[in-house]
Amino acid sequence: MIRFDSVGLRYGSGPEILRDVTFHVLPGSFHFLTGPSGAGKTTLLRLLFMSLKPSRGLIFVFGENVAELSASGRSALRRRIGIVFQDFRLLDHLTTWENVALPLRVMGKREADYREDVTDLLRWVGLGDRTDAYPEILSGGEKQRAAIARAVIARPELLLADEPTGNVDPAIGNRLLRLFVELNRLGTSVIIATHDYALMEQLDAPRLVLFDGQLEMR
Amino acid sequence: MTLLSDIRGYPWTSLLAGLLPARLAGLLPERYQTKGAQIVPSASIAGNALTVVIAIMSFLACLTAGAVYMVNQSAKAWVNDIASEITVELDPVNTADIEKKMTLVALFLAKQKGITRVKPLTAEDSAKLLEPWLGQTSALQALPIPRLIAVEIDRSNPPDIPLIKTALSQNFEGVTLDDHRRWQAEIRTLTRSAALGGLAVLSLVAAATIAVIVSATRSAMASNREIIEVLHFVGANERFISREFERHFLGLGVRAGAMGALAAAIAFLLLPLMTHMLGGGVVTAADTRRLIGSGELDLAGYFLCVLVVIVVACLCMITSRLGVTRVLKSYA
Repeated sequence: MIRFDSVGLRYGSGPEILRDVTFHVLPGSFHFLTGPSGAGKTTLLRLLFMSLKPSRGLIFVFGENVAELSASGRSALRRRIGIVFQDFRLLDHLTTWENVALPLRVMGKREADYREDVTDLLRWVGLGDRTDAYPEILSGGEKQRAAIARAVIARPELLLADEPTGNVDPAIGNRLLRLFVELNRLGTSVIIATHDYALMEQLDAPRLVLFDGQLEMR
Repeated sequence: MTLLSDIRGYPWTSLLAGLLPARLAGLLPERYQTKGAQIVPSASIAGNALTVVIAIMSFLACLTAGAVYMVNQSAKAWVNDIASEITVELDPVNTADIEKKMTLVALFLAKQKGITRVKPLTAEDSAKLLEPWLGQTSALQALPIPRLIAVEIDRSNPPDIPLIKTALSQNFEGVTLDDHRRWQAEIRTLTRSAALGGLAVLSLVAAATIAVIVSATRSAMASNREIIEVLHFVGANERFISREFERHFLGLGVRAGAMGALAAAIAFLLLPLMTHMLGGGVVTAADTRRLIGSGELDLAGYFLCVLVVIVVACLCMITSRLGVTRVLKSYA
């Protein structure tokens, strides 16, 4: 599903942030991506999401060489990936419901076909009474849950999440982890970037550990 | 085929519904309504200043197109008038009995094939033709004013003008024939010049509109950069994103274009009144009609204004689409 071959990344003429990163992600797998702050977790996720180009090496996403993809090809692949950002990236002029429904709208689906699904998912993540609220009045935890709901609403084949439980209490954190596990059981590959050891302890999943720009699998 | 499928697959219904104010759009059947809230908010696209600028451009374009159309219509009427007539001129100098000569020439002309009517003008008629330049003065009677014979020709079966010209010069001394070709050519030149001038003005208006829309598109994209990024992250392609922007610009073009065209239509309706008032009552409606035809736009003229609105709206839409695509490529 995902293959990194000797990938390196540097910004401009600065030092390499990632060096010789090589790994495979198989369909239906579950991985934690961890490492100390500033190790390059977010950068690696951005490479996976094709919003950054590597300075060297090859990246294959769903069997496609990312370097050879056109803009529309990248868009088509992104529709198969759900991503949760650390800073949520919700649109302030859309309600929680509209934010979550955005990927389905982009896919050209009819609102009548997904109205119930979006409402159900929001209820499941504990935002059933916040569907018409705008992001600016949501708490950090609520924004995070809305961002997660947006990432998973289209049942992506690959889910990338950057510190998805960073702003929620342990109970909600556990619930979100259960959502990720449930999605994984349904066939979605999941990569969660986190340095929350308590979260990682709850699941026996392989860990991709980033340290000093290099990656090792544990 | 790609273009055809693009046109077929275009969300025309939601696009047209998007042109209506939210309250009116809400009254449309569900299938014509736009889904959810606007992804790119209208307020971030166009302020009142941009609407006013496009409305002014549209107003100028309608005025220019209407004026050129009026001149063209008047010129056509003039050419039709003068093409169905020729004028025979008799020099009174060295002619003992001008009235007798007039009668002989008129009889000669009446016998020619393709001539439907011969009307000799009296000395008073000829003098009246000079009155607009020389005024009413008895001195006119002392002047050797050329005498004229107005000849109407059958346009479906015209006479052999060069032959008549030769026959007149052979049989009558001091008689010339004017077939108005010089006037027709001059009117055509005038019409073409007016059309070219109008085209130049329209090109300038179009260029200014494009420049304004390009600048507005760039600023709209800069202020909506975060939205564009999120759209990219949820898998929106360039076509989807550009549609979100061009829908707003099409709406802007239609609204502002209609405002400009309406103002121009009112100006054309009031034109006869304004000409009269500006002329201080000296210029009569008849004078105006002689100069610029009826001075009013007919139905086809007003249709031209509607056409200008459509062109302005399309210009706004296409320019914004190209602008958005270009900026998106630079982001990539």
